[in-house]
Amino acid sequence: MHMEVESNQCYINQLFSQDQVLSFEALVQLKNSVIGSNKQKSNVIIMGIVPRLMQLLLDGHTSVELLTEAAVVLGSLAKGSTVHIACLIDSDVPPVMIKGLAHPNQQFVEACLRCLRSVLMSPIAPVTLIYQDETVIPHLIHLLPRSFTTQETIANILAHCCRTMEHQMTLCSNGAIQALAPLLQTNNYKVQMPALKCCTAMCYQNPHVSLLVAEASFDGRYVSDSIVSLLSRDKPLEMQIAAAKCLTYMCRAGSVSPKEPCVVYKALPCLVCMCKKDKDPTTRIEGAETLAYLTEGDAELQRTAAASDHLISMLAEYLKYSHYRNTADVKKLEENERIRKDMVYAAFLAYASISANDEDIRKKIIETEGLMDTLVTCLANGSMKVCLASVRCLHSLSRSVQQLRTSFQDHSVWKPLMKLLYNSPEDILTAASSTLCNLLLEFSPSKEPIMESGAVEMLCSLTRRDNPALRLNGIWALMNMAFQAEQKVKSSILVALGTDQLFRLLADPDVNVLMKTLGLLRNLLTTKSVGHIDFIMGVHGKQIMQAIILILEGDHSPEVKEQALCILANVADGDAAKEFIMSNEDVLKKITSYMVHSNVKLQIAATFCISNLIWNEKEGAYERQLRLKELGVQKLLQQLLGTSDPVLFDKVKKALQQFS
Amino acid sequence: MTNEKPVEFSKEEWLLHLENLHIQRGDMNRLIMDYLVTEGFKEAAQKFKLESGIQPSVELDTLDERIKIRDAIQHGRIQEAIAMVNKLHPELLDTDHLLHFHLQQQHLIELIRLKNVEEALEFAQSHLAERGELDSDILHELERTLALLAFEDPENSPFGELLHPSQRQKVASELNASILETENRDSSPNLSNVLKLLLWAQNELDNKKIKYPKMTDFANGAIDAPSK
Repeated sequence: MHMEVESNQCYINQLFSQDQVLSFEALVQLKNSVIGSNKQKSNVIIMGIVPRLMQLLLDGHTSVELLTEAAVVLGSLAKGSTVHIACLIDSDVPPVMIKGLAHPNQQFVEACLRCLRSVLMSPIAPVTLIYQDETVIPHLIHLLPRSFTTQETIANILAHCCRTMEHQMTLCSNGAIQALAPLLQTNNYKVQMPALKCCTAMCYQNPHVSLLVAEASFDGRYVSDSIVSLLSRDKPLEMQIAAAKCLTYMCRAGSVSPKEPCVVYKALPCLVCMCKKDKDPTTRIEGAETLAYLTEGDAELQRTAAASDHLISMLAEYLKYSHYRNTADVKKLEENERIRKDMVYAAFLAYASISANDEDIRKKIIETEGLMDTLVTCLANGSMKVCLASVRCLHSLSRSVQQLRTSFQDHSVWKPLMKLLYNSPEDILTAASSTLCNLLLEFSPSKEPIMESGAVEMLCSLTRRDNPALRLNGIWALMNMAFQAEQKVKSSILVALGTDQLFRLLADPDVNVLMKTLGLLRNLLTTKSVGHIDFIMGVHGKQIMQAIILILEGDHSPEVKEQALCILANVADGDAAKEFIMSNEDVLKKITSYMVHSNVKLQIAATFCISNLIWNEKEGAYERQLRLKELGVQKLLQQLLGTSDPVLFDKVKKALQQFS
Repeated sequence: MTNEKPVEFSKEEWLLHLENLHIQRGDMNRLIMDYLVTEGFKEAAQKFKLESGIQPSVELDTLDERIKIRDAIQHGRIQEAIAMVNKLHPELLDTDHLLHFHLQQQHLIELIRLKNVEEALEFAQSHLAERGELDSDILHELERTLALLAFEDPENSPFGELLHPSQRQKVASELNASILETENRDSSPNLSNVLKLLLWAQNELDNKKIKYPKMTDFANGAIDAPSK
């Protein structure tokens, strides 16, 4: 050790010589010392090699041999540990390497590229560096085809530095796709892989770039076909999964249809295969995560995946995975824990995707031994990541009526779920509140205890959030809560929400929030007993009528107006409540005008309203009928008998029958 | 699958079948050229090119580097070989850590062979200890190598094989294969793949307990009669 340090020190000293030949000789010795040894890399860095090499690189008089050797040594340092790379970054080596790419000497340029590539592939890579000067990317693309080294290094650089939509667009507009296309077809794994990864990074959530990649071709072959051929079973696993991932991203970005054979019969089965027990954890995790992403939102793909090859039970294996068996080694146990968390995350994500739409799939998943227990535990104790995946999984499963009544009840899922609604980041909050909506449905046994634990206040506060998805979930949950609920529940909702907030929600820029608010109003005024309607109108009638008029007068879609009219119909169903409408000439005129609206659904709602007003079993019916006749309602109804719509006809007939 | 008695060949029948198979001479020659080029037998390849008319897959001059490197190792000049590889492919030894260890180990063996105890210990300490700390298999190898120093007559010790020339050969081949791999060439000659295929096929037949005339001596291509 002593001797080696001494001799290295000697060479470092020699490196500072003004004689370039001596410097070069010293550098060669240092190179041979550091290649393969992290210890020596550390030593020479401590001895100050990096600033000296930088000096040489920036000096215009340095010979090209010396320049190249300097770049090679820096490249070797870049192959060391993250600490070594940090040193290089701190000493401004990467920008100097980029500068070096303009040099005419191919060897030197390649040495710079190798160093850059190693730095930019590390976890601490300064990925925005290559975008800072706008001449860099075009130059890299220009250099790309020259040799196997330029192809491998530049493809890797571009793949690892493509992180944002801007990056994707920059690469695209500089011709990256055309430059990468030939690389996919070379028979060289070290070049194909980074080219593939670069395409994948460029396509991620970018419909424009994805389309260009799908349409690109080289030598008469489409890029997408090249990618599909990299999926075949004789290729190394990493390549198969990288190709499947690329197709997945293209599919999700819309440039490849989910019905395409390359997706259904190639990419999807490939990903399912990656989940098998015989694969290593990294592959299984990536397989499940990518599969989750691919099938998210497409019911057909979900069904195909779920039916494949025991996928559901393969994913169940993830939950019990233990990488090192029978060990007491602390480090190994920690590693076990880390891997297990990632496996659980991936499995839950996959379950969440494939069970989103199909009852049979949900059933099969829930029957997995230990699943509900694991889910509930992860809700309460998991890391953020695992928690999110668990909630998403629960959300998909909660779409099942049967499950709500059984497994969800058995495991008191609502308890940990409620806890999550306080103090969680937005993505967890969104998924948790969506799940809660389902748990608050009428037939769900969890409804009672949830309401009793202060959900109303919490949901009202959700309706005040900036995020429209959260507002929607808040109001939707309240709407579900109000459905066929007890009087006191309905009152507590109205009181907690407050009429101000109600009006705010009725003016919400998000039309879904608006619709659900109207839905809430409708549910508040739906009857178990007529007494509810009268009570609520008695306390809040004025504001409710104001709200409805606001909607009817506003610029809204027919769906929204239909809801408002249905609410009026409910008001009209009350006893004392009828007065709110009858006394309001404006409202009456509006109702009559909707009776002859072009949209038949609005006509039906308006007629229903009239029908309730004139119902002749109710007290004061005669007076109301008179009033409405005065307004020409009976005549209108008779006109409407000529309608071709059977539902409308039915309602009109019933209404006319009421007139005595 | 019908319940037939499996066909049994006698050695003579088998050899007759084999004789009726025709392998193209051109294919044979290509296999040989590929072997010569992959293993770095430049002069033989040049001669064979003249005699057979087969074109080698690469310019034969590109073999020079690999030949020099293999040569250095075969003569125990490991540091020299390392310097040459670092010049040719500077990232190779930074990437293939096991190979780098084997080269260092070989240098250590050479020092031990020359009975240069002090330098050997110093070298082991300064260059090899760091790898040994990270990997228990490598540590084990290192210990075996250093154990040679404990014996008066290391060549006849339990670890004597490390001093055998075949050890140098092993390292030289490992390095050669790694260089070929870096250059995106096949790192093993097709001929060895063909032999592997034969081994595999025979293994499959053995697993199914089928009797057939087996080739047991590959070097001579001798086929034995099927066992009873």
